[in-house]
Amino acid sequence: MNKELEHSFVELLEKHQNIVHKVCRLYTNNYDAHNDLFQEITIQLWRAYPKFRGDAKFSTWMYRVGLNTAITLYRKSKRTINTQDYAGVEFKIKAEDYDDTEEQQLKTLYKAVHQLNDIEKALVFLYLEDKDYKEISETLGISSVNARVKMNRIKTKLKAILNP
Amino acid sequence: MDELDLLKKDWKKGNSNYPKLSYNDIYKMILKKSSSIVKWIFIISLLEFGFWLSISFAFKGSVYSNKIDELNINHILIPITIISYAVLIYFFYLFYKNYKNISTTDSSKTLMENILKTRKTVKHYVIFNLASLFIGAFIGVFYNFNHNPEFSSKLELASASGEVFKFYAVIFMVTLLVIGVVIGVLLLFYWLIYGILLKRLNNNYKELKKLES
Repeated sequence: MNKELEHSFVELLEKHQNIVHKVCRLYTNNYDAHNDLFQEITIQLWRAYPKFRGDAKFSTWMYRVGLNTAITLYRKSKRTINTQDYAGVEFKIKAEDYDDTEEQQLKTLYKAVHQLNDIEKALVFLYLEDKDYKEISETLGISSVNARVKMNRIKTKLKAILNP
Repeated sequence: MDELDLLKKDWKKGNSNYPKLSYNDIYKMILKKSSSIVKWIFIISLLEFGFWLSISFAFKGSVYSNKIDELNINHILIPITIISYAVLIYFFYLFYKNYKNISTTDSSKTLMENILKTRKTVKHYVIFNLASLFIGAFIGVFYNFNHNPEFSSKLELASASGEVFKFYAVIFMVTLLVIGVVIGVLLLFYWLIYGILLKRLNNNYKELKKLES
């Protein structure tokens, strides 16, 4: 690949790197894992870049590649704690973790989000990024009705965690 | 307030808290190698291909292969070898094509479907390898029965003592047992490698499918 392409890619990614950091934040829970995933997403972005035609926004395209890498291609390293087996597992949040202050609430929320499965995390991520259901459904490949239903379920789940 | 809105508020605030990588940091990253699942499937298939190939070379010139030469079955062996290598190369091509076709810009579901298609190719490849092992073993036994002088003399001995049936039964059982063990070991190996490699992907795919039903 030529130098010009390399240059334009690195420059764009440098500018929009927060998107990748945010994906890493939801999918990993320590510094090393964060860096691992960041690295893998960067490589996948670079590999897909020649096909990026600019008909989508660079950032939208990044969401897609980033999430796909996190939920599909990425092999979690041993350092990360496995959080995908959510079904049937109660949240392991003790009563003392819960506090009325907003900060405590946020801490608990992040903890809870980390325990959602990979697909649920993707939905939460796109929701936090202010994406509408159309975009969420296109990114994941499900219908927008199903995206909405699933999102409501996640909200209920989170509410239950915060108000036990 | 909605729990997620609380999170969203904080999410937006957090923009400045992320590490800031420089142009050079990112540039170094794109030179590194990916470790994605798809790539591993491709690499493992290459290693396997090498494994089978080296086994066949290792047998060449050995006592075993001299024995095969004595049996004079090259007219069968050569076409079989050519066909099996043609099939292997075809698989190889499929693996590469799948690997190239997988695009991260598709929707997650499409991407997973494509990877699972790759897995299907792997499955067919495994079945092909095991089937050819099975067939190969039986051809070997069959030719030994008919062409191996050592074998025929033992058979004569057995028939003299009226134990032909026992003789056949023992040969048959031993062959089955050996093949069974070999296939078992290989299946375990495949199950370990591909099972572990694709576990998470499978779970996520199931989750997406569940959403659609």
